[in-house]
Amino acid sequence: MTLKSKMSIVAKKRLEGYGFIFPGFLYVIIILGYPLIYNIILSFKDTSVKNFAKGGSVFIGFQNYAELFQDPTFLLVLKNTFVFTISCLVIQFTIGFLFALFFSQKFTFAGPIRGLILIGYMMPMSVTAMLGKNMFGVTEGVINDLLMKVGLINAPVEWLVSSSTAMIAVIAVNCWVGIPFNMLLLTSGLTGISEDVYESASLDGANQFQRFFYITLPLMKSSILAVLMLGFIYTFKAFDLMFIMTSGGPLNSTDVLGTYAYTLSFTKYEFSKGSAAAIVLFCCLFVIGLFYLRLISKEDD
Amino acid sequence: MKGRMKKLLAVTVAGMMTVGMLAGCGNNVSQESSTEDSTETKGETKEVSIWHYFEHEATALEKIAEKYNELQDDIHITCTYVSREELMKQYTIGAVSGELPDIGMVDSPDMASYISLGVFEDIDDEIKDWGDLDQFYSGPLSSCMDSEGRLHGLPNNSNCLALLCNMDILNAAGIENPPTTWDEFYEVCQKTTNAADSVFGFAMCAIGNEEGTFQYIPWLYSAGADVTTLDSAEAANSLDFLSKLVKEGLMSKEVVNWGQGDALNAFAAGKAAMLESGTWQIAQFDSGDVELDCNYKYALLPKDKADASVIGGENFGVCTGSDAKEECAEFLKYMMTAENNADWCEIAGKLPVRADATELKSFWTEDERYAVFNEAMNYAVARGPHESWPTISEAIYTAEQAALLGEKTGEAAMKDASLVVNPILEEVPIATVE
Repeated sequence: MTLKSKMSIVAKKRLEGYGFIFPGFLYVIIILGYPLIYNIILSFKDTSVKNFAKGGSVFIGFQNYAELFQDPTFLLVLKNTFVFTISCLVIQFTIGFLFALFFSQKFTFAGPIRGLILIGYMMPMSVTAMLGKNMFGVTEGVINDLLMKVGLINAPVEWLVSSSTAMIAVIAVNCWVGIPFNMLLLTSGLTGISEDVYESASLDGANQFQRFFYITLPLMKSSILAVLMLGFIYTFKAFDLMFIMTSGGPLNSTDVLGTYAYTLSFTKYEFSKGSAAAIVLFCCLFVIGLFYLRLISKEDD
Repeated sequence: MKGRMKKLLAVTVAGMMTVGMLAGCGNNVSQESSTEDSTETKGETKEVSIWHYFEHEATALEKIAEKYNELQDDIHITCTYVSREELMKQYTIGAVSGELPDIGMVDSPDMASYISLGVFEDIDDEIKDWGDLDQFYSGPLSSCMDSEGRLHGLPNNSNCLALLCNMDILNAAGIENPPTTWDEFYEVCQKTTNAADSVFGFAMCAIGNEEGTFQYIPWLYSAGADVTTLDSAEAANSLDFLSKLVKEGLMSKEVVNWGQGDALNAFAAGKAAMLESGTWQIAQFDSGDVELDCNYKYALLPKDKADASVIGGENFGVCTGSDAKEECAEFLKYMMTAENNADWCEIAGKLPVRADATELKSFWTEDERYAVFNEAMNYAVARGPHESWPTISEAIYTAEQAALLGEKTGEAAMKDASLVVNPILEEVPIATVE
């Protein structure tokens, strides 16, 4: 075969490759790229109810962002988002992992019980949020009733009524959903580890703890990373839970970036500011996403 | 195998992220309304859609639409129920995409914002010569106007707030009649509160949305303040009075999470002796949606310096881009004739928006419950109209919540609210009708 014909085959192959990615690329541009760019442009303008139909909105640079970062409410919302995400992540990952380990033991009913735990994850978030709202009620809520009967508290806790405890209640409900999700993904990671590895380790005299820290954890690294990543993204952009359970209140104490951006755009019609808040949300997730992709590609190398 | 698993996870993560992006920025790609294509030719019957969020009133609305369909051949009307939250979102999105119904229903304080957003057509030319306009009450009618006083729709019904008393509880506490002043009201609250059975003297809605502002406005005005004087001592007094009820355990702190429906449920369950109640709730009692197994009585809200209540209600407007603008305006006129308004409001349990409609039937004066609301309408104030009403409203309900939760004094909370509201009102004052 001559060099020339070989080249043309390579070129053909390359063209074919582009042909394959073209539809996907087009999809991303139209469905994701357009709204994203529209949103970014909007966030640099001063579009609001005042000039939306009349026209006359102008570019104001980073003013929306500057105003947001000087607004104590927005800073509180930003703090809430991180407190919510990190607390949920720590709690649901720890308990989820413990559950995954526990149910990987082969005892009777391990499978069915694991299945039952998944119900929390399968329920629509709106239903979960309504349940949470009722369970954390002050006088008629089941949580206060239980805690009082057990004797942990003397007077009802004002869960969703007080700005200091509302976040705890919201985190608890979100973890209820997050734990089965973490358990499920980590279980699939656990089953990927061959029994032989554990067997030879115990032959070499490794005890329970050593087996966990030197075999289970390293072999699960990629699943753990994925679970934490998915968990972070899923939790960071939380919306429906707060929207239904607390509407972000009382006094913005459970407002997160998602609900705050929605309120700005759809309740107060400050479209540009709402876009800016959404872009802040996007940037946070984008950074985390890049970080994850780097970790993944490093491992592949 | 492992590598593939990892890639799969990476793809999933990427997928989740893009979903996150979309959730963050909910903007629709522009689409032209498909309903417009089917009605190109003139002379044929045009399809007209109405979007509304009436629930038990829906059949009454459909009846009027059907009657109109039979009366003429210009348009054929179809009514579609869209939940309130969703409908408001659709208007906002529709302002960008142009995908709007021909006629849309809207809560009266929101109308000014949607007019500003260009959701509703200016139909002033179509209806200004209609002599009947003089019969409309000015509060509801003004909520359909833009800042220049041009009409973009017609009000459909009104409601306001009054005090609902569980007379069984009041009588048991030795009280014969509903309270009329704040002092009497406070005393009744004290006498009827029973902490052991978790029965509170009073229940209202102080939730962090428009409903919360709606229920607070009468207290603000009764104290002698209004939206333009939030930094006055009177405004602070009104908040301090309500906070006192919470602090002394006469009203549940949970009111900050209660919508009007939640507060009504508490009252219906016998957990509150008195309720700040709206006109529409009478229909809920009569239809059996809410069961009240007690003797109850309506009275005007207690007053401090002046009687006060607040106007609620829905408007209908012709949406931008409708190819049947004139025909739609004609239908609005038909729907709002004195007879039709009276018929409709009687079926739906609402107050008419026209003086002559109220006179057509004895319904609103004979039923003593409606009679109270009919009287309260004389003192009821409108919210706005102002294009930035949602922002003003947010400042007000935030102040109320901060005070009720004990995080701020009435004075401090109202000061913060006035810092938001005053600059807005300085720039564009609330439109007033002569």
